[in-house]
Amino acid sequence: MYKYIIRRILVFIPMLFALTVMVFALAQAAPGDPFTGRMLDPTVNPEVYQQQREALGLNDPYPVQYMNWMKNILQGDFGNSIYYNGRSVLELISQRFANTLYLGLFSLTITLVVSIPIGIYSAKKPYSILDYATTGFGFLGLAIPNFFFGLIAIYIFAIHFGWFPSQGTVSSNDVTGFAELIDRLHHLVLPGITLGLAGTATYMRYMRSEVLDVLGSDYIRTAKAKGMSSNNVLYKHTLRNALIPIITLMGIEFGVLVSGAVITEQVFNFPGLGTLFLQSITNRDYPVIMSINLLFGVFILVGNLLADIFYCVVDPRIRYD
Amino acid sequence: MQPSPQGATEIDPVSPQPPLDQNARSSNSKSPFQLALRRFLNNKLAVLGIVVLLTIILASIFAPLLTDLDPTKSDLMKIENGPSSEHILGTDGSGRDNFARLLYGSRISLIVGFSAMLFTLIIGVTLGSISGYYGGKVDSLIMRFTDLVLALPFLVLALTIIALVPTITTALFVCIIALTIWPNLTRIIRGTFLSLREQEFVLGARAIGASDFRIIFRHFIPNAIGPIIVNATLMMAQMIIIESGLSFIGMGIPQPTPTWGNMLSEAQNIRILRNHPEAWIPPGLGIFLTVLSINFIGDGLRDAFDPKSNKR
Amino acid sequence: MKNKKYWWMMLFILLFSTLLVACGNDEEEETTADNNNDPVETEDPQDNEPSTSRLTGAIHSAPTGLFNPIFYTETYENNILSFTHEALVSQNNNLEFIPQLAKDWETNEDQTEITFFLEEDVTWHDGEPFTAHDVVFTYKTIADPEYGPAGGVRTNFVEPLLGYEAYSSGETDEFVGVTADDDHTVTFHFEAPNVNPLYYSSFSIIPEHIFSDIAVADMPSASATLDPGEVIGTGPFAFTDMVEREQYILTSYENYWQGQPKIDEIVWRVVNHSVMTGLLQTGEVDFIADPEGIAAADYETVEGFGNITIVEQADFGYQLMGFKLNHRTSEDVENGVIDPDNWVENEKVADPLVRQAIAQAINRPGFVNGLLYGRGEVINSPIAPQFWAYTDDVNQNEYNPEAAMALLDEAGYVDVTGDGFRETPDGEEWVLNLDYPQGNELRERSAPIIQENLQEVGININLRQPKEFSAYAEELENDDNDMDLYLIGWSLSSTDPDPSGLWNTTAAYNFSRWNNPESVELLQKALAAPEAFEQDYRTAVYHDWQNLFTEDLPAVILYAQNKLYAYNDRLNGVDPLPYSFINNPHEWWIEE
Repeated sequence: MYKYIIRRILVFIPMLFALTVMVFALAQAAPGDPFTGRMLDPTVNPEVYQQQREALGLNDPYPVQYMNWMKNILQGDFGNSIYYNGRSVLELISQRFANTLYLGLFSLTITLVVSIPIGIYSAKKPYSILDYATTGFGFLGLAIPNFFFGLIAIYIFAIHFGWFPSQGTVSSNDVTGFAELIDRLHHLVLPGITLGLAGTATYMRYMRSEVLDVLGSDYIRTAKAKGMSSNNVLYKHTLRNALIPIITLMGIEFGVLVSGAVITEQVFNFPGLGTLFLQSITNRDYPVIMSINLLFGVFILVGNLLADIFYCVVDPRIRYD
Repeated sequence: MQPSPQGATEIDPVSPQPPLDQNARSSNSKSPFQLALRRFLNNKLAVLGIVVLLTIILASIFAPLLTDLDPTKSDLMKIENGPSSEHILGTDGSGRDNFARLLYGSRISLIVGFSAMLFTLIIGVTLGSISGYYGGKVDSLIMRFTDLVLALPFLVLALTIIALVPTITTALFVCIIALTIWPNLTRIIRGTFLSLREQEFVLGARAIGASDFRIIFRHFIPNAIGPIIVNATLMMAQMIIIESGLSFIGMGIPQPTPTWGNMLSEAQNIRILRNHPEAWIPPGLGIFLTVLSINFIGDGLRDAFDPKSNKR
Repeated sequence: MKNKKYWWMMLFILLFSTLLVACGNDEEEETTADNNNDPVETEDPQDNEPSTSRLTGAIHSAPTGLFNPIFYTETYENNILSFTHEALVSQNNNLEFIPQLAKDWETNEDQTEITFFLEEDVTWHDGEPFTAHDVVFTYKTIADPEYGPAGGVRTNFVEPLLGYEAYSSGETDEFVGVTADDDHTVTFHFEAPNVNPLYYSSFSIIPEHIFSDIAVADMPSASATLDPGEVIGTGPFAFTDMVEREQYILTSYENYWQGQPKIDEIVWRVVNHSVMTGLLQTGEVDFIADPEGIAAADYETVEGFGNITIVEQADFGYQLMGFKLNHRTSEDVENGVIDPDNWVENEKVADPLVRQAIAQAINRPGFVNGLLYGRGEVINSPIAPQFWAYTDDVNQNEYNPEAAMALLDEAGYVDVTGDGFRETPDGEEWVLNLDYPQGNELRERSAPIIQENLQEVGININLRQPKEFSAYAEELENDDNDMDLYLIGWSLSSTDPDPSGLWNTTAAYNFSRWNNPESVELLQKALAAPEAFEQDYRTAVYHDWQNLFTEDLPAVILYAQNKLYAYNDRLNGVDPLPYSFINNPHEWWIEE
């Protein structure tokens, strides 16, 4: 087992290296560079772009650029954005990441608060009206593209009824303290629901079937036979068992959330990581593209490493050789 | 920590499916496939899904018979017109017929969904079975590569790759999606196979000296077929959603190619949403019904392959 | 123990709200810090009544955050800088230069010098007086050797100045292009007699006392460029606060030299395209202006809201379909050389008759009436119609498929194989490749229609899939490829009609690689001193040039779109200029 863990860690290092090469190649291989898109202002002399390319080292051979980039990364310097004329990439990312994180957390919260109780309820009373309704909703949630759900939600709840703000994260800088918290939550409602829609549907169905499985299992029947109340049985045995996979799922869902955020943030003009990434892609803002990709990559690779080690420790049945 | 598209996580990759065919064979003379088929046909929703999906497929195949209008033919005199006898769903912002675009759009959406799924399936089954069956060095090599691709969230990777291609055609789009999403399926299949390796019947087969190929095809794939098919169907449904999402952010298959996603993203405007429901409800409904029926079918398949489960 | 589930959730929610509050606190501190530095907001003690008048404008996309006239590159910053910064001169409704920070000016005999007499009561937002030294400093900075490498792109404003080459290459430390005669008199010196000196002096001025201690290379990342409250101009509004990428808040500057603005606060909100008109209706947004305005298709919808005024006026710019008349060689592209001697002629579109036929085969009025809902205009020559230099008295190339076919027949392009498509005079297959970029909905819609139009007269068009914009721009520029027809749109400057930047043979933006000595000659003539000091002379030359353009036809100008500004009726005093919605915003007022 220890041998496996050590080897796994040893493999991790070339993996990281491969990741940096992949991230660099993917960003640089795209046609055009940060200045080609800007090239079209007739009042600007194109020579200045040539000067800037030279100044930024974009004319250097790729291996040289890669080495420079790696050197800086190893020193913790992720470089400066080109599109945002020299602003630190890390600053840009951390600013936006906070917004995406709140959006993600909020949407996960909604997802869990809605899906767990409903999932349990429909499992306890299968084939009731509520069960059918939630199953219906579950399918609905999976079958509507979330940008479209977002647009419709904006028209109904923001423009027609005026209940929720539809754009941005906060009304203004003047609201502070508790009012700001409320204001921010208010702004999160529509994007949060939109982002969490598919997740809610998935969890709801998942929860229902898990609980049904557990309720039907032998030990529950035994427990019931011993005279425990059905709620007691449910909470004591069922939930504990059913929540474990849910928590695992949540980890997986993180990547999904980030992906979903790219589109949702766009609809609600929510300045998060997704918008930043999309914008950097269209503007060929290499430093930002590479940093976002690299950070995600390292984050997820480390996560995988830990998960593998964890599985290996807890599940000795799986043989690694 | 592995990112995966929604829906593809329906089946827990770690828990092995019971070796169905062993139980079935001992108790019943019917093949597991026939049994599964019977269970599937008893599932009303799944059958309904098949019917709806077939209808949509037929409509897309016979689109030229249902309308004689060209979905890419513009008419400057008829921009954003309402329904009329000639254009039963009106026309879009270029004066193209919405009904024709709906029909031909279903082709693209279905082709994208189906071929991306097929492509993913081929990569996934090949790599997954090699990795899961042989284990060891081969396995870790393939898995490390999978990890590398999985290291980027799906849409982030897809967008990065889409930017590499100056011109996105339907075929390229399918390839990009498949090349981005295959690791999920590969991991699921590999996980199933890895656990099967240690099962008695495999050890038995190996002891008799059955060839690797035979073991993979006779014992592994039939046992893994449930999760494979279920995940594949769900993935197909998801591709259709992804196509429309990418169209919305301007990264999908570009106009004038008719796709449901393109039609839907044209409606991102209060004017069309309010005044021209005939322009966006049909493609919206198209996506909805297709995805829904594929999901029904997927669920039906899962129940059919795994009768123990109560999932629906 | 029993409710384990709730513990999980409580923990989760707790974590979530702590994070939010933590974030909230941070920003609270920042905001108060900003307000302390800001002299504007803390004043006005009698303002106890809740009478802060606030106006909200919408933009589609957020500025990148460079609130410095000499460094910004995106139009969205311009929306903010138009309120905060001013130049020596501005332009009126007839595009004539009028005084702004300079109250008067005079040029010397041969127009190598222009002297400005500045307004004397102008103060910067921080109370410091505005002087001639600020003007010198601004131009000196743009001419600095470090300016380009630091990301600046406005060097065209300083290039004709005296001694620019020497200063910008670092040969000398002495900047002689702009000099201060005294605190309120400043002179621009040009290397050669200048036809349009006012254009070169129309650049927004930045404060010397703020930037003088900052190295040019550090200016883009300086607080005085990035942070609200720190950005200092002389304009009627000061940029005081922002929620980055969401809201940009401008506060009236009470000591503004033309009188305190009547509106207290103007907020730019970044709003997604698809909900913009909706927010206009609910009143969350008061006005939509540059860069995009409202879509022509939305005109009736917005008009139907009842409380919105729409301003419709011609835009400075046009969409065109260009012919790749010449291609550069791969070697030249590699070396970044634009040398007409090395160009390879594109035989497929070399015949001017063919180009005229193509122009006549395209249903341009259909584009305007259909795609633009009539809110635009068919123009023929590449000069904005608002200019004195524009003429419509040129070869019209009116839509006429019959005539187009006749022209093609005449040129020898006939269908010999009977497949419905014409062959070249040598009987070879004739297929034209049409490329276009993504990013402009109308342009994307027009490409397939052009293909249909041209196929109707028997021209085989290979319509390529639209390309992502950066990729397209690169291919258009590095034209060692098989592109024959291309679509592009240009926004034009409102200051001078000179088209050489786009159509001069060696101009980088001459993507047609149009090589016509006569055109080069005319373009030079129109700028040659001293004849060109007379506008009538220039007008005549430009008319000749436009005639030449429409005869030789390096590109078909498809249409010029109208700009549609929309604003809520509660806003009064709006007087848009031909090139901008924002004109004298200190005179805007709100009536509830």
